[in-house]
Amino acid sequence: MQRDDVKQRVYKVIAKVLKIDTGQIEESHSFSADLGAESVQSVELMAGFEEEFDIEMDEDEALGVQDVGGAIDFIGKHLD
Amino acid sequence: MSAKYELQETVEPNLLDDMFDYSLPPKIQFDGPQVEEIDGKQVIFDPKEALARDLVITDTTFRDGQQARPPYTVEQQVKLFDMLAKLGGPKGVIRQTEFFLYTANDRKALDDCRALGHKYPEVTSWIRADKGDFRLVKDAQVKETGLLTPSSDYHIFYKLKKNRRKAFDDYIEVIDAAWDAGIRPRVHLEDVTRADFDGFVMPYVAELKRRSEQVPADMHVKIRLCDTMGFGVSTPGVKLPRSIPKMIHRMTHDIGMPPECLEWHGHNDFHKVHINGATAWLYGCNAVNTTLFGFGERTGNPPLEGAIIEYIALHGDLCGIDLMMVQELARYMQSIGVDIAHNYPFVGRDFNTTRAGIHAGGLRSDERIYNIFDTTKLFGRPPRVSITDKSGVDGVALWVNTFLGLKGDRKLSKIKVHKVARWVMDQYEVHGRMSAITDEELAEQVKEHLADLYAARV
Repeated sequence: MQRDDVKQRVYKVIAKVLKIDTGQIEESHSFSADLGAESVQSVELMAGFEEEFDIEMDEDEALGVQDVGGAIDFIGKHLD
Repeated sequence: MSAKYELQETVEPNLLDDMFDYSLPPKIQFDGPQVEEIDGKQVIFDPKEALARDLVITDTTFRDGQQARPPYTVEQQVKLFDMLAKLGGPKGVIRQTEFFLYTANDRKALDDCRALGHKYPEVTSWIRADKGDFRLVKDAQVKETGLLTPSSDYHIFYKLKKNRRKAFDDYIEVIDAAWDAGIRPRVHLEDVTRADFDGFVMPYVAELKRRSEQVPADMHVKIRLCDTMGFGVSTPGVKLPRSIPKMIHRMTHDIGMPPECLEWHGHNDFHKVHINGATAWLYGCNAVNTTLFGFGERTGNPPLEGAIIEYIALHGDLCGIDLMMVQELARYMQSIGVDIAHNYPFVGRDFNTTRAGIHAGGLRSDERIYNIFDTTKLFGRPPRVSITDKSGVDGVALWVNTFLGLKGDRKLSKIKVHKVARWVMDQYEVHGRMSAITDEELAEQVKEHLADLYAARV
């Protein structure tokens, strides 16, 4: 899958979980500091990514990802 | 000049396993002897010497314990006695328990407990310092009885309305009567932590020691040091009569009372009840007098189960103690209407329950991080988490895995329990809830969101 495709679908999940518009999201954004994700929402984001891409992520590694660009790369590696 | 400290990196964590062997209550280890200055001289107390002695726990659940509550029925006393025997084990770590003898109920309880045939705890009695009461002790065929002999001027002058000489002579007369009746006297020095040591306590105990030398060894007087108002202090350097180390040294060294004839009886008015008992053990008293869950007059006595854990921690061994009985006793007490605070150590509902998400996270990683010892193995009580808005997803994951009985690789990650965690947070953030989530509510959420696992739960 191309990185842009992953990016688009990651943005969609983020927008849905955090209830924001995809236009408000940038790759450099931190989930918590910039997008305001709280503890449960961080986990919901990971659950949303797993569902969207039909993957299983290691909890510690997944929750170690702090920003949008990192999530795109992390998921991209999983898909590879 | 300040010492130079350098970080010592290690590949393997140093968990201090020798002290914190998770399979036991953590050991209390000593670097060496303790030193106390008494009468201008340095006196050494060696914990090794203390541990070589026959340290025991005595119980007064049915005497002092009953002064703090409505009377137990005979059946209740028999049930508790039976469990105490099992808890203390074959070595008699719980060596004795004492009974009132004044009512028919008291006497039947003593007879029925004795009829169980346990070697330990031995049955003793408690009476006022009244010669007429010896008939009760003789009729009950009890070998040892406690006698109340107040030792402070507060009691001698204002309660008994006597002077010291009159009190002294009256006490001696009653103790002589005990010997005449073939009963071993256990003399309770009431209010000893507020007594004039040199002016009354020392002459009195010295006379009891002198008289003991004229009777067989198994009839020698025992001394119970009664910290009636909880004034005793364990800290080195404290003055008499509040100093526990000095008081016991006076008994053992100056008078020559053997440790097996000394017992400490405390009260919890200043939150010192457990440490004072433990201190008495180390400084020369072989027996610490206790009650189940600390119930006793006013603020209570040393908790028996606390002394049991201290005993194991000092010896580094279970010594035949059946710790599961601690939980059995608590459940039984609650079943007969005794309230035990949720946060009460070892047996309270929440004694090993965490509410903080960060603690729950630690428990999920390795339960040793936030559990005192292997409470599952020793108490049948695995560490738990109580879910509130502070528990976080970690807390929810821990609860769910415990509920479903999932261990090791089968444990669910936080990601898999996110719907349950969302429901919990919404209770507080959306619905304004102020109370903890109950186990039943959480089970319902697991059933809804993790239906397959719920159906297959252990």
